Amino acid sequence: MDNIESLLHGFTIAVTLPHLALMLIGVLLGILVGVLPGLGAPNGVSLLLPLTFGMQPVSAIILLSSMYWGALFGGSVTSILFNIPGEPSSVATTFDGYPMARDGRATTALATAFGSAAFGALVGVGLITFLASWVAQVALAFGPPEYFAVYFLAFASFVGMGGAPPIKTVVSLAAGFAIAAIGIDTVSGSVRLTMGIDELVKGVSFVVAVMGLFGIGELLLAVEEEFHAKAASSAIDWREVFRTLFGLPRYGWALLRSAAIGCWMGITPGGPTAASFMSYGIAKRFSARKASFGRGEAEGIIAPETADHAAGTSALLPMLSLGIPGSATAAVMMGGLMIWGLNPGPMLFIEQKDFVWGLIASMYVGNIVAVVLVLLTVPIFAALMRIPFFITAPLIFIICTVGAYSVSNSYLDVLLMLGFGIVGYLFKKLSYPLAPLVLAIVIGDKAEDAFRQAMLMSKGSLAIFFSNALVATLVLAGIALLLLPLVLQILHVRTTKPVLD
Amino acid sequence: MISRRALELATATLTGVFGAAVVISSIDNGIGWSTAGVDAGTFPFLTGLIVLVGSLWNFARGWLQSRHVAVSSSDLRRVIALFAPAVVFVGAIPLIGVYLASGCYMLGTLALLHRLSLQRSLLIATATPLALYLVFERMFQVSLPHGALGDVIGF
Repeated sequence: MDNIESLLHGFTIAVTLPHLALMLIGVLLGILVGVLPGLGAPNGVSLLLPLTFGMQPVSAIILLSSMYWGALFGGSVTSILFNIPGEPSSVATTFDGYPMARDGRATTALATAFGSAAFGALVGVGLITFLASWVAQVALAFGPPEYFAVYFLAFASFVGMGGAPPIKTVVSLAAGFAIAAIGIDTVSGSVRLTMGIDELVKGVSFVVAVMGLFGIGELLLAVEEEFHAKAASSAIDWREVFRTLFGLPRYGWALLRSAAIGCWMGITPGGPTAASFMSYGIAKRFSARKASFGRGEAEGIIAPETADHAAGTSALLPMLSLGIPGSATAAVMMGGLMIWGLNPGPMLFIEQKDFVWGLIASMYVGNIVAVVLVLLTVPIFAALMRIPFFITAPLIFIICTVGAYSVSNSYLDVLLMLGFGIVGYLFKKLSYPLAPLVLAIVIGDKAEDAFRQAMLMSKGSLAIFFSNALVATLVLAGIALLLLPLVLQILHVRTTKPVLD
Repeated sequence: MISRRALELATATLTGVFGAAVVISSIDNGIGWSTAGVDAGTFPFLTGLIVLVGSLWNFARGWLQSRHVAVSSSDLRRVIALFAPAVVFVGAIPLIGVYLASGCYMLGTLALLHRLSLQRSLLIATATPLALYLVFERMFQVSLPHGALGDVIGF
């Protein structure tokens, strides 16, 4: 019951006036980036990151994580009202959300989405509350070989379960590692991969990469697809909201199943996008009302929304307790943690109790704040969507440029961002997954250090990765995941292929 | 008009060249095992090699791709209409600074490219740098580039 006690202590940190105000701001900004196509949670959080350097870490993480919740909710608003997913992870919500809204049941669709999203998020936070400190305790016994094995497993699961073409995933991952290696090597002090550009000695910041890959890349894709916002009515009928929310328990089984899928995909780095697609697919396969899917079936909204939010929140579990982020946005937040001088991983639960439990408590409060705020502000943000895209697109571009520059006041970063933008556009277009690339940039150095330390321990022998039962199991599981696509191909099993965020 | 095949081949070439550059560059750092442990170049060398081999695979797969259109010429026109002015904007920053450049960029894209009324375009084009100035320079004390022009006029 230590966890409950710590959680209550966390609430005393999270539920203070300044922190509630930060949640409010974070959620509103989050809904904004979630609603605007071309701005998403990963680059929204990175944009805010340079502005948090002067804050207390716990305040900063509350702001950033609230923004994440807001973005997850905001993405569903546009999916349902405009048939335009504001976030990659809310694509599956358009399948049934938009038809329902078009039939004049916009309030029901929104309330169903928000209600199940909140449920998914709460299951995710609950999981973190009870499991995170236990996982951290286990991880305390980890040495460099175990750490490298866990990193290996995380990356292998992208290849095996991500859903994108496996070789493209491998290229994306390895390129991320190479980018992470640019600059001064922390072990030997030698300068690596600067290709003759002296300024690259400082390395390539993941913020710049995210701004280009997600921001500029998505912007280019959005203008290319040229959408027209045809809105369903966005007026909210409050009585209908409560009727829908109280009717949700009827879908108990669907809710639980979707939450379980979401948590699993969030903890293993499958990410929210893959989770929502998978959950939708499974709901459709097992539903008694299979035929009404795609025409405004409530279960078709519940399944992706619950899984999306469960994955989004539980992605913070491995980030906090192991130092391995479960999604692209979690990777950005973890980068923030390192910039604020914290060391993500098991020691966090011992050295930074206030930070960890303040964050976990704020996740409960933040998600409730998000549901209320998003319901209250739907008409405002729906009106925002009616601003023509040719006005918002250059504005978003300017914001990304300024965001990339302000990371380290460097013009080179702006140029790099442009380059990453082109790469992001090409990668998205050709279904190369972007999340592994970002993850590798953020934790590449740590994975490399773990590998080199393990090699030092074993005097250069790879046998250390099979030296005890734990590390051998992790490595073998990783290898199995790497080989999974190959095995599936041989068995001719065709699966749906969602693109990762 | 760009076919899916061309796009696949171009991307695989891009990643392949990057992989090759990483491989060549990390050989200078030393690869393998020395008295100090794993040499600095080893890890990047391996990742570069994986990128290179993966790119060759993707190139071969791309070669077999159908030639159906991935980006139509009207798509391409829209993408360039966004990207080309954006590149000019970025190029102008060292000369005239972020504030003037962003104002001109907004005015240019809105009034010239999309034929928004001059009044509205001007309003948005002045509001944008003003908002940037207030948020960054004033609220968060982050100095944005003022450009060579800024140095001349002492801003």
